[in-house]
Amino acid sequence: MPSTELVLETRDLGFAYAPDRFAIRHLSVGLHRGEVLGLLGRNGAGKTTTVRLLTTLLPPTEGTAIVLGQDIRTGGRALRSHLGVVLQSESLDFVSVERNLTLYAFLWGVPREVAKSRAEEMIALFELEAARRRKPWALSGGERRRFQVARELMHDMDILFLDEPTVGLDAIARRRILRYLKERARGGLSIVFTTHILHEADLLCDRIAVLHLGQLLALDTAEGLKQKFAGAREVSVTFGSPIPPATRAALLAELTSRGATLLSSESGGSVPVNRLVLRAERAEEIVPWLARWADAHALPVERISVEEATLESAFLGMIGGDDEEDGAGPEPTGELLPPDRERGLP
Amino acid sequence: MRLPPVLRLVVRNFASNLDPLTVIIRFGQPAVTIIVLGTMFSTIVSSDLTGGTSYTAFLVPGMVAFQMITGGVVSGNLFWLDRRWSMVEQVFSGPFLRSEYLGGLVLTSLLFSLVGVGIMMLVGLPFIGLPPLSPLGVAAVLLTVALGSVFFAGLLITLGTRLRSANAYFSIQSFLQLFVIFLSTVYYPVTAKTPRVLAVIFYANPLTYAANTIRDAFAGSLGAGDLEGLGVLAVLAAVAFAAAAAAFRTMDLGPIQ
Repeated sequence: MPSTELVLETRDLGFAYAPDRFAIRHLSVGLHRGEVLGLLGRNGAGKTTTVRLLTTLLPPTEGTAIVLGQDIRTGGRALRSHLGVVLQSESLDFVSVERNLTLYAFLWGVPREVAKSRAEEMIALFELEAARRRKPWALSGGERRRFQVARELMHDMDILFLDEPTVGLDAIARRRILRYLKERARGGLSIVFTTHILHEADLLCDRIAVLHLGQLLALDTAEGLKQKFAGAREVSVTFGSPIPPATRAALLAELTSRGATLLSSESGGSVPVNRLVLRAERAEEIVPWLARWADAHALPVERISVEEATLESAFLGMIGGDDEEDGAGPEPTGELLPPDRERGLP
Repeated sequence: MRLPPVLRLVVRNFASNLDPLTVIIRFGQPAVTIIVLGTMFSTIVSSDLTGGTSYTAFLVPGMVAFQMITGGVVSGNLFWLDRRWSMVEQVFSGPFLRSEYLGGLVLTSLLFSLVGVGIMMLVGLPFIGLPPLSPLGVAAVLLTVALGSVFFAGLLITLGTRLRSANAYFSIQSFLQLFVIFLSTVYYPVTAKTPRVLAVIFYANPLTYAANTIRDAFAGSLGAGDLEGLGVLAVLAAVAFAAAAAAFRTMDLGPIQ
């Protein structure tokens, strides 16, 4: 569990690359010690700009951000000394993977012996043994990405920023890295993790900030986002005996009044059926109601299942569906969150 | 013991970017020039034109001066590659100041140039013997190369901050390198017969001042003109360094080709 200690807090943070052309605006989030905060959004949502602002690579044009007790405008080296940053673009030196690791540790002032043993640990952990003596440009895309993450973990830090670190990784490598990051977070490392892979955010992040067109749309746990934004879900109910047509008609009328619509039944018309498939906006309310209704009508319920709410459906619900053209989503209003939730305060 | 950030960056610059082949080519080319060009031109160029010495003895100080370009080009290219492979951004996201990174590049250029001076001296030794260098002469040679190195490093780094394409950067760098050398007194002296326009261009070129000062130091005839030359180099080095520092503050760290 993350602690309640805030290690990062932004208030109305923004960056404009030209007058009135904002890459990110009104960003108010918090990060606790040991927490993994996901920045989720489409390409161009403002994730990378946010990372660059928080790591002092870009000066904000509005708002404030306090990272580890220091203002990002003035923190400079003292602040960066406690950060780790895996950039979205590949960065490398023209030496072997192993030498890259130790050289990077040297740059950070890690003692030689510690660097050597840590390099071995990282090579094993990130499955770089076969690539140890190869130059980074001779690695596959996945190996290069693993190398990038491994290299950043050569030094100590309080907050780790990872800008789409799993792009190009196979499923096993991705899972392995995510598991390792989760472990490190349990050990007190705070992580800011940008991704557009929803499943990853769901798996790794304690909370997720959804960015769209440079604005924060929502900030919550993955479960919270699913509950709030996943929209209508499929509910399937199988009764132990057929429902008489009259009872079925009454049931459907009741369901309609509760915001559910019938998708299919095992057979229709006047023939008694024992299975209904519905689409319900508030599935979590419909299910107990259905159970009570069946009980009241002496109809045994064999099985009720509810389609699992996914982060994907929540995400699509937030940004305006999957049939939008690039950048043609709804204008973010910033009204989805009350101010205290936006700040991510406990 | 933890080295200061600038020195850690210098060590990294040497360790990561200077492969043996690059070093051999960078130092080998002027060394071969001394041996081949010096030998061949000594047989056809009258010593009247080269101040009473052999052409090789004339050329060696020129090649020593040339090392300030070698160092500048090395750190300019190093910066470009760091930018191209996002290492500038990576370093800036770490415990370093931009000024330290720039200082590391300039120091790398300086060290490279000074090593080059030593190599050129060693290569030239069998041809010209040990030059009668006074302590002041040694200081003048080292200071000249150091200032020239800072100038060229500053110039190429400034260029590197502004260009976004490798083609453009390396074309301009090659063009500059070639013309700066040929429009200087590295290979030939400015004489009364030199066309006026060329003579003006020669004296607008910092490499001319460097070559002349080093030549005078080798000949043990340093004078007021050399002090002037050093002054010009110092001003140019300061301007180029200031330009690089200013360019660093506003440099776009985004992707380049």
